[in-house]
Amino acid sequence: MPSSSLALTPGLGSFLKCLKTNPIDTSIETLISLLKRRQIRHSRSCATATAYLLRSVISACRTTDSAKLIERVQSVGRRLMAAQPREMVVGNIVRRVLGLIRDEAEDDRDAEFALSDIGSESQPQTPRAYDDASLPLDRDSPSFRAEDRSSRPPLTSMFSLLSHPEPEISLPSTPGSSSPSGRFTGHGPSKDVRAEVLEGIGEIIDELGQVDDQIAAYALDHIHSNEIILTHTSSTTVQKFLLKAAAKRKFTVIHAESYPNNHEATHATVSGSAVSDDDNLGLEAFQKPLIEHGITVILIPDSAVFALMSRVNKVILGTHSVLANGGLVAAAGTRVIARAAKVHQTPVVVVSGVYKLSPVYPFDFDSLIEYGDPSKVLPYEEGDLVDLVDVQNPIYDYVPAELVDLYITNLGGHAPSYLYRIVSDHYRKEDISF
Amino acid sequence: MASTTSDAAMADTKPFDIVATYNELLRSDADLTMPIAAIEALVLLLTHSASSTISETLDLLEKSTAHLKRSIPNPIGLSAGTDLFQRYLITTLQRPGQLGPAGDFKAIRTHLLSNGRLFIRRAKESRDKIAAFGRGFIRDGSTILTNGGSRAVAALLQKAADEEGGPSAVRFRVIYVLSSTSQESKHPNEEPEGMETVRALRAKGVPVSTIPESAVAYSLGKADMVIVGAEGVVENGGIVSRMGTYQIGLLAKAIGKPFYVVAESHKFVRLYPLGQYDLPIEQQVVEFKSEEDLAEERKQQSSVDTNGDTPIKLPLCDSVDFTPPHLISALITDSGVLTPSAVSEELIKIWF
Repeated sequence: MPSSSLALTPGLGSFLKCLKTNPIDTSIETLISLLKRRQIRHSRSCATATAYLLRSVISACRTTDSAKLIERVQSVGRRLMAAQPREMVVGNIVRRVLGLIRDEAEDDRDAEFALSDIGSESQPQTPRAYDDASLPLDRDSPSFRAEDRSSRPPLTSMFSLLSHPEPEISLPSTPGSSSPSGRFTGHGPSKDVRAEVLEGIGEIIDELGQVDDQIAAYALDHIHSNEIILTHTSSTTVQKFLLKAAAKRKFTVIHAESYPNNHEATHATVSGSAVSDDDNLGLEAFQKPLIEHGITVILIPDSAVFALMSRVNKVILGTHSVLANGGLVAAAGTRVIARAAKVHQTPVVVVSGVYKLSPVYPFDFDSLIEYGDPSKVLPYEEGDLVDLVDVQNPIYDYVPAELVDLYITNLGGHAPSYLYRIVSDHYRKEDISF
Repeated sequence: MASTTSDAAMADTKPFDIVATYNELLRSDADLTMPIAAIEALVLLLTHSASSTISETLDLLEKSTAHLKRSIPNPIGLSAGTDLFQRYLITTLQRPGQLGPAGDFKAIRTHLLSNGRLFIRRAKESRDKIAAFGRGFIRDGSTILTNGGSRAVAALLQKAADEEGGPSAVRFRVIYVLSSTSQESKHPNEEPEGMETVRALRAKGVPVSTIPESAVAYSLGKADMVIVGAEGVVENGGIVSRMGTYQIGLLAKAIGKPFYVVAESHKFVRLYPLGQYDLPIEQQVVEFKSEEDLAEERKQQSSVDTNGDTPIKLPLCDSVDFTPPHLISALITDSGVLTPSAVSEELIKIWF
């Protein structure tokens, strides 16, 4: 194992080191095994690792052909996603990188078309559009139909019913049909697609680094003086959000401890004794806890949530991932809190980076829930009992969209029903299921 | 292509009748939806008219569309098709490049006229696409409650059933709500809508239970989800569908079961109904009558036969209701699984 040669606990830090020194294939294997063993856990760590890995993959892939790049990223992406299907951010980052490549390739092609249009203006009667229009006429219908079926891209518009077959709309989403991109490379590398894509990935990595601060910038709009805020787990996004508001306002935080999977981290966050673990990149260690800003923090067991909910003004929750229908997968116990908030008509605000927003539609909620170590609930010292009962420790909860009032992402606040729009802005249709 | 030649021959003798064409199209192909039949009728209309300028054509389309809408008791479904057709023409003409202002009108006209069959085929293919998207919703061991005679729902269920025995076999059960109104109508022997699907599913080995509409609340406890079809999807994401869908939606919401709508995206219609009685159609559903009124009616019926001048009313068996968007969990369309609020966006894309 390459990672074991480094004197580091396996995690994001060791992976990033390994990425610099090892060949790309070893790095892919390392990340896959880290994901499989859950040695990289947090959404953001997974996202960062994926983004860095894909950056190396693309810079190692010496080609200017965007179709080949897409194919390569897809194959790496598939393996990463298969390694940990419930870690949806991995798929999100892969899709965004694919989208970047497609965007760059299309920009390039548009520029070419513009060029060739200028060239062909001297010949009046044969613009490209006319050729396309007359296509159906010159051909006998069966062969035309066959071609139409294969080349028709997954159009989104309602016009797709009536439209002409428009082969230039998308790159081939399958590696097999690479004829349009062949034409594209034939024109020569007018622009280095790869460099543009690498730049784009750099932007994604920057975004991952800044996302919490960007979200925190909205804190003062949502937290007012003397409010009572309820939160859950030791999410750094939520902590930063609250800290930002604490700099200006006085309020009270009720913190549910999220036993048994996250209570130690939560206690540490509340008391300010959080040791920076490897995954957090040491940033949080320099942060003062809420109590040092003069904020009253009340730590409660999860079972007291309903009892206290009547006094709470606002519930602010972190999340593991957000799904296309506006529902979210978050730490176990979140649904109880959201439900209790609904009963008391308390607004529920979810803070989440856009990178956690997945275009996946949750067909089967149960499959999204991951089960963790049951010994956290019932330790093995209780040997007699362990034999007699079935212990389960779900790590996540699915929270349906109707329990959430507002999402705050680094782009601003959105209603759950608006999330589909952000999804379609960030991911290409052809990449949603690759 | 014998039919088209005979059509052409007919056109020579008498003027083109769009309403008759539309009805004939719907009758001839049971798989044809109303919007597609409307588009087809308009394509045929263009074939029969010799209009050569843009405004002449648009004017003709507008007049014929208005006539068609007036003559059909429930024009909601077909207006989706006529709007789409008209917008397609206008947008293509305005768009630069491709077939834009420079690209001539004739090319578009020829494209539309020569590809009538293609549109129908695409419309039918979109059902397969929906089935592929919706396939993920039907899980092993699930029970699905459905109603009406939607072909898209039938395609989805049959697609899932087809995979029975294959590598991705789905074992699911269906509760089919059969409408009672169609039995009360003029043809008492006619079987209720949806029996064909029920038979097809049973033939594929899917256990189907048929229940009357009154048993929906009772049976919903045994269902995992509700999947219904739609006649039209309106701008706010709600649906116009067979009478009885609204109550199923309300019940599903009350019991907490997901309520999915299966609809092709060409059924999106630019309509914003605020409630049940805000639909632009006349329905004979709630009618208050005293003994006096009944007597009056009987007298009228015996004395005068149908005048023909009265506005056409929808027969009870074809009546529809409006299911508001908050009852709908998701719309399964050929452009993906959409939330109700995404519908307006799709519509905006074609109108503005």
